[in-house]
Amino acid sequence: MTSITQGAASAPSLRFAGQAQRRALAWSWTCGLLLILTLLVIYPVAMLLIGAITNTNPIVEGYHFERASLDNFLAVLANPNVQVALVNSLIACAGGTALAVVIGLIFSWIVVRTDTPAKRLIAMSSIVPLFVPPLVGAVAWAILGSPRTGLINTLLASLGIDFRINLYSMGGLIAVFGMYYAPYVYMFTASALRNMDPSLEEAAEVSGAGAVRTLFTVTFPLIAPAIVSGMLLSFIVMLGIYGIPAVLGAPANIHVLTTYIFKLTAWSPPLYSTAAAVAVILMVVTGLLVWAQARVLSGRSYTTVAGKAFRPRALRLGPWRWLTLGLALFYLVVVVVLPTLALIVAGFRKFLFIRSLTDVFDERAYSLVHFERLLANPLALRSIVNTMEVGLWTAAIGGALAFAIGYTINRTQLPGRRGIDIISTLPVAIPGLVVGVAYLWAWIGLPGGLYGSIWILALAFIARFMPDTIKALSTSLMQIHKELEEASWICGRGMLGTIRSIVLPLAKPGVVAAMTLLFILAIRELGSSLFLYTSETMVMAVLLLDYYEGGNVGVTAAFSLVQTVLLAVLIGFTQWLSRGAADGGVGRAG
Amino acid sequence: MSAALDVRDLRKQFVIGRPAVDGVSFHVPAGEIVVLLGPSGCGKTTTLRCVAGLEHPTDGEISIGGTAVSAPARGLLVPPRHRNIGMVFQSYAVWPHMTVKQNVAFPLKHRDVSGAETERRIAGALELVGLTEYASRPVTALSGGQMQRVALARSLVYQPQLLLLDEPLSNLDAKLRLRLRDDLRRIIKQTGVTALYVTHDQSEAVALGDRIGVMREGKLLQLAPAADLYNRPADLFVANFTGASNLLHGQVLERQGEFATLAMQGGGRFRAWAPPAIAVGERVQVAVRPENIQLGVNGSEHSYDARVVAQRYHGTQTTYELELFGERIEVVELGTAARHGVGSPVKLTLPPNLCWAYAASETAGQE
Repeated sequence: MTSITQGAASAPSLRFAGQAQRRALAWSWTCGLLLILTLLVIYPVAMLLIGAITNTNPIVEGYHFERASLDNFLAVLANPNVQVALVNSLIACAGGTALAVVIGLIFSWIVVRTDTPAKRLIAMSSIVPLFVPPLVGAVAWAILGSPRTGLINTLLASLGIDFRINLYSMGGLIAVFGMYYAPYVYMFTASALRNMDPSLEEAAEVSGAGAVRTLFTVTFPLIAPAIVSGMLLSFIVMLGIYGIPAVLGAPANIHVLTTYIFKLTAWSPPLYSTAAAVAVILMVVTGLLVWAQARVLSGRSYTTVAGKAFRPRALRLGPWRWLTLGLALFYLVVVVVLPTLALIVAGFRKFLFIRSLTDVFDERAYSLVHFERLLANPLALRSIVNTMEVGLWTAAIGGALAFAIGYTINRTQLPGRRGIDIISTLPVAIPGLVVGVAYLWAWIGLPGGLYGSIWILALAFIARFMPDTIKALSTSLMQIHKELEEASWICGRGMLGTIRSIVLPLAKPGVVAAMTLLFILAIRELGSSLFLYTSETMVMAVLLLDYYEGGNVGVTAAFSLVQTVLLAVLIGFTQWLSRGAADGGVGRAG
Repeated sequence: MSAALDVRDLRKQFVIGRPAVDGVSFHVPAGEIVVLLGPSGCGKTTTLRCVAGLEHPTDGEISIGGTAVSAPARGLLVPPRHRNIGMVFQSYAVWPHMTVKQNVAFPLKHRDVSGAETERRIAGALELVGLTEYASRPVTALSGGQMQRVALARSLVYQPQLLLLDEPLSNLDAKLRLRLRDDLRRIIKQTGVTALYVTHDQSEAVALGDRIGVMREGKLLQLAPAADLYNRPADLFVANFTGASNLLHGQVLERQGEFATLAMQGGGRFRAWAPPAIAVGERVQVAVRPENIQLGVNGSEHSYDARVVAQRYHGTQTTYELELFGERIEVVELGTAARHGVGSPVKLTLPPNLCWAYAASETAGQE
């Protein structure tokens, strides 16, 4: 690199400007980005940390930092309720993760390594749960598996079977967690299996090991980093989820960290500083797991030399392949078909009470009454409009910011870009709910009316999903060869001109896809909205939870269907835009 | 210990395309090394993988040591782990999560071998490949050549009756390849194991194989010791593949035993070796290796007049392009002096023994 190209890289638009001026401009750009990031990420987290060690109520008393003391935090740690919530969280997530690993591994093995028929369908069905909003999935399972009125129990009773299931339990929580977060394990392990040199397994077979032994002594150890990494990721996501434990755990009085935090702020008077302290605990646990996952991913990866392109190595299962197909179809039915049916039945039936199986097909029992009631509620309409508005602003501003950051990190030599990189990645380790509590602390005590407007929701979402957006954008930025930009500079275009006429047009599909992704993530977000909405700024996810907690199953199901259809259309649109370029991005933030 | 390999009418048809292996038969006596040689896509690796049991043949029969291991017609298919064979892969396929010793010990774990015997065998195998002091290293810390030695030790430690090698040297750099090539033959011969070796590299095939089988489009064209392969190629493809790049065209006037007198296309008579199937009156093409043509020797009964058309000087050798019977051929002359200028007439000697006539309908079809 000569000094000329370096200068060009930082600010070639100022071809005639002096060296000092150029440097000043570069620094002001960096400082601008750092300032925005500080406002979005550092300041709220700092306020959260301070909030955790005070015992004030910022709404009533304003901020009183002189009363800050670690004792408050230690008192929260010693609180048995907090400990129970922490232990519950760990049990539910550990159980859910274990189940997710089993399901995910079985599916990646079936899809990548066997000759099971309809593999494409199986591959698709194994990632479908990623697209289902957790709250909707939980509501559907509550309709199916609640101890008294659950559809499955009704069916069992009408069949004269004495067995009943109860999903309002730790077991139910674990089962739903495991089913819905298996795709994380699946995605990691399936790609690891696909990238593994099949001769490694063949060598084991030739040297005398049977199929099962090969699986356990060679295959699984080799993809261990992928297994562990998928495991940690699903654990992290489960830990930060509010919807599922709120729907399935709360009726049985099982509180996890997320639901406990919300409960603290819903008490009167709200215990904001205790909530902040528990949120810090949640953030620390998540942070440790994220760090562990990064270590696993950057650690030893078993890349081996291979001359030939791998042949897909499909184990011939013979008649057993019908068993694996059956298993896959069973999963598809349990995870997709049953919940959808439950929502449809509950949403369109006047009364959910079903006496017998034949009763289900009685068309007189069906009507649009729940949808009518939903639409008659002005709050419902407002929540839809609000959600769309927040989503659009989040996508527009968040997308532009992510592009600026992504470009600065990946394509320039600007000073301070490492710092920008690190700060913009931080939210990965902050669960949505914690973002909500942090924003609450950061803005509630300040005048100016940001708290209570839809802007605080948009800002929180932008911060929360920044790492995902930047990652999605960076991928498409990386694909634009550096020389295309350099050629434009040589032709006399400045940096901004090059971005406008070369980079943006080429990155457009990626930018649009990233913005749509951000839009989808924003409109289904529940955790951070919980602390930031008011009746004026009600959003869909929160209202859905309200309906559920209000006990109106019919309207809840109807609203769930509305949201699901809305999301399905949007996701279909994104997939069409990115044409398979960014699989599974939607699911990352749970 | 080592056993004969017998492959009869082996056919392998994948879901699409022409058969990958199309009626291949050959026999490898115990203790012999046979190399399957051919361009990529000729079916050599598929043949090897069928012998290993990693690929399931469509038809034909494979027996190892007199026992059938694969006979689709009878529904017989012995899985790889019960064939008692060793295999070395192109990508080494050493397990990166194990040490050198663990890799080598792996096959013994599934066999009834006592602890002391296991240690002894591992030590023996590592010594054989010269990796004794590397036993406790993780394999990822080794170089490519060392990894391939680990793979070799692993495939020999349980004294298999047959060793299969699938282009084991093709991922190594040129210098290492030469060294390991000679080591490989020494080690295989030392253990006395029967070996089937697949490669696309001729010099490797010649250095390693007791016999070489040339394959093309799923068929085994010729299986013979190297000297036979180079001096009596069975068909034009084999001749061309092994380096006989000159082609002259003519018609058979008469036959004398193994040889034939030809009337050349551009005029003139020529004597060449011809397979028995070539009859009088048939149109033929004659393949000649550039190295087998002697330049400027007078008085021999098989010398012909040619003219230098072009000359390419390579330092230690010179390649001439000559006009002979109105056709262009290439001749290589060793030595640093280029003795014939462009345009000058030159005498060539073409011993009939080293000129091979094949039916004009055959195609060299290479590359």
